[in-house]
Amino acid sequence: MELQEKLEILAASAKYDASCASSGSSRGGRGTGAAHISGVCHSWTADGRCVSLLKILMTNECVYDCAYCLNRRSNDAPRAILTPDEIAGLTFEFYKRNYIEGLFLSSGIVGSPDRTMELMLTAVRKLRQEYRFNGYVHMKVIPGADQALIDQAGLWADRVSVNIELPTDKSLRLLAPGKTKDTVLVPMNRLAHKIAEHKDERRSIKSSPAYAPAGQSTQLIVGATPETDREIVKLSEALYAKMMLKRVYYSAFVPVTKDSRLPALTEPPLLREHRLYQADWLLRFYGFKADELLDEAHPTLDLAFDPKTVWALNNLDKFPVEVNDADYETILRVPGIGVTSARRIVRARRAGALRLEDLKKLGVVMKRAVYFVTAGGKYEGIRKESGEAIRTKLLEHKPSGNGQLDLFSQADLVRETLPATVTGQL
Amino acid sequence: MRTYLYNGSFESFLTALAMALKDGEDSALAMEGQAREDLFTEFVNAGSDPAAATAMRELFERRGSAESWQHARFAFLSETEDRDAALLAYARLIKEKGAAADNMLADDRVKRVHGLSASVGGEAHMFKGFVRFSELADKTLYAKIEPDHNILPLLTGHFRARLGAFNWIIHDVKRGRAALYFRGRLIFAPLTQQKALEFAGGEAAVQGLWRHFFKTAAIKERTNPELQRRNVPLKYRRHLTEFE
Ligand code: SF4
Repeated sequence: MELQEKLEILAASAKYDASCASSGSSRGGRGTGAAHISGVCHSWTADGRCVSLLKILMTNECVYDCAYCLNRRSNDAPRAILTPDEIAGLTFEFYKRNYIEGLFLSSGIVGSPDRTMELMLTAVRKLRQEYRFNGYVHMKVIPGADQALIDQAGLWADRVSVNIELPTDKSLRLLAPGKTKDTVLVPMNRLAHKIAEHKDERRSIKSSPAYAPAGQSTQLIVGATPETDREIVKLSEALYAKMMLKRVYYSAFVPVTKDSRLPALTEPPLLREHRLYQADWLLRFYGFKADELLDEAHPTLDLAFDPKTVWALNNLDKFPVEVNDADYETILRVPGIGVTSARRIVRARRAGALRLEDLKKLGVVMKRAVYFVTAGGKYEGIRKESGEAIRTKLLEHKPSGNGQLDLFSQADLVRETLPATVTGQL
Repeated sequence: MRTYLYNGSFESFLTALAMALKDGEDSALAMEGQAREDLFTEFVNAGSDPAAATAMRELFERRGSAESWQHARFAFLSETEDRDAALLAYARLIKEKGAAADNMLADDRVKRVHGLSASVGGEAHMFKGFVRFSELADKTLYAKIEPDHNILPLLTGHFRARLGAFNWIIHDVKRGRAALYFRGRLIFAPLTQQKALEFAGGEAAVQGLWRHFFKTAAIKERTNPELQRRNVPLKYRRHLTEFE
């Protein structure tokens, strides 16, 4: 089979994996490449997603039969496998032309988990040792592979990940026979420990080898199974706290195979995915707890408003906030104010008291923030205690919907939020 | 009213800036050949004085801060009409208020220079991704760019760190300048392309593979050309292999 044909098959199967982060890593040394600290997008595909890595499967053959997956054994599709040399060579040729930041290698399971993991490791080892490649490598860890093999992944890759795929054990058992909560969480936990251990070691002995310096991430599919947003957000919160994950990626379920156990969706739940990313963002950068965003009585994220606005509307007693003396964390909770504008406020008020008209210059979206802030005691929102009036006003200012998501606000959210640590389309 | 003329180099610009600053409130700056003549303006050629330029740098760095200096440097690389006036106003403010000036984020003078600096920095960051090299017959990697701002000087460190093992050229065809990296040494020089480039044997095949990969990576169900356009503006696509 021609390399081009293989590439087509194996890139097509890999594309549903959401992660594109290539940030937060740097490898020194001689050779070619450096994983740029802040990550870079090299292009954007026709669906508007960032391309920064050669994201590819080693093979789309698989001994398993997960219902939601294109590579499932029972799916009648052309199969291909790349050799370690082809993977290393292709990555190097692409990297040197600056098409990519590096490699994201995943795979279906060929033969056995061990065999698969061994082949993947060979490819990445070649890339590091023979090509002296220092660029970014993200490696999927194959659930069920031998611990010693899993351990090696972190020695060669900048980032490692085990996909959770589905948010509960029940759903896994239903749709992914061969996977359980344990086959996912055990290696994830193991990697979390290894990463922590090596970090400590490197603190005392500088020369000790780096281990997955860009940390660990995971992905889960949204909308294939009946879990609520609350269950998902709580799960993410736990993964950040207990597994020290760097990122959880959410992927709106795209029905690529037909199966009676799967919901019949006409289109992927993109808006829901978007709201989950916003909620995730609030956990990681805005100091919110999952319980503040969703509770037993309201387990679903509002599709009309972003979760921060919903929280504010439910907590009107905490507003308006005086921008001249509220602390950073409080300002950050105001709708229409993001990380960048909150920082600017805290900085600019050192040079003199801020007036309402200054806020716009600092990047605050006043159409939304106006109901929630005062400056020097001045308030220009609505003097009404009920959230209803504000809610109505806010809806008027929604960017006009043409059926598409309000991706502007998503883009703003990304830009607002620590551009130095995060890149890429969510 | 005096307008100080600089020759286009940063050193000359700083020299002119220092002179204008000393001169008082109604002085101005302009690049040679771009100043508009009128009856009331006296033009003074500032020349290029390393000592004056250093003193100016120190004003930004010491009276202001490392941040002020970075904003000034980046804003200078922006190619907007009000650049000279914006930087002069900013320099006056730094001279008057010192480092505190950079906290005045709602002040138009500060906001303008910070804004220019951010758009230069932003474009440079984007081009770390958008530069596309092709391999020439002699193995040199060659890339053409046409950025809005003069960001070439901000790109070289990045590519030096990654592609130090190769010889490479990044050619700003809009400005007719190039960064040439040969055997570990970097130079900037004027460059215009004379004859057709001769590519390495495997070049077309690798480009073909990349285009295939790029096309395949899009998910049909999520097609969103508007979002794509926002991220990769059409003006940048001319030199991107995957859009050719
Ligand atoms: S094990 Fe992975 S590749 Fe194989 S069918 Fe399941 S999800 Fe797909």
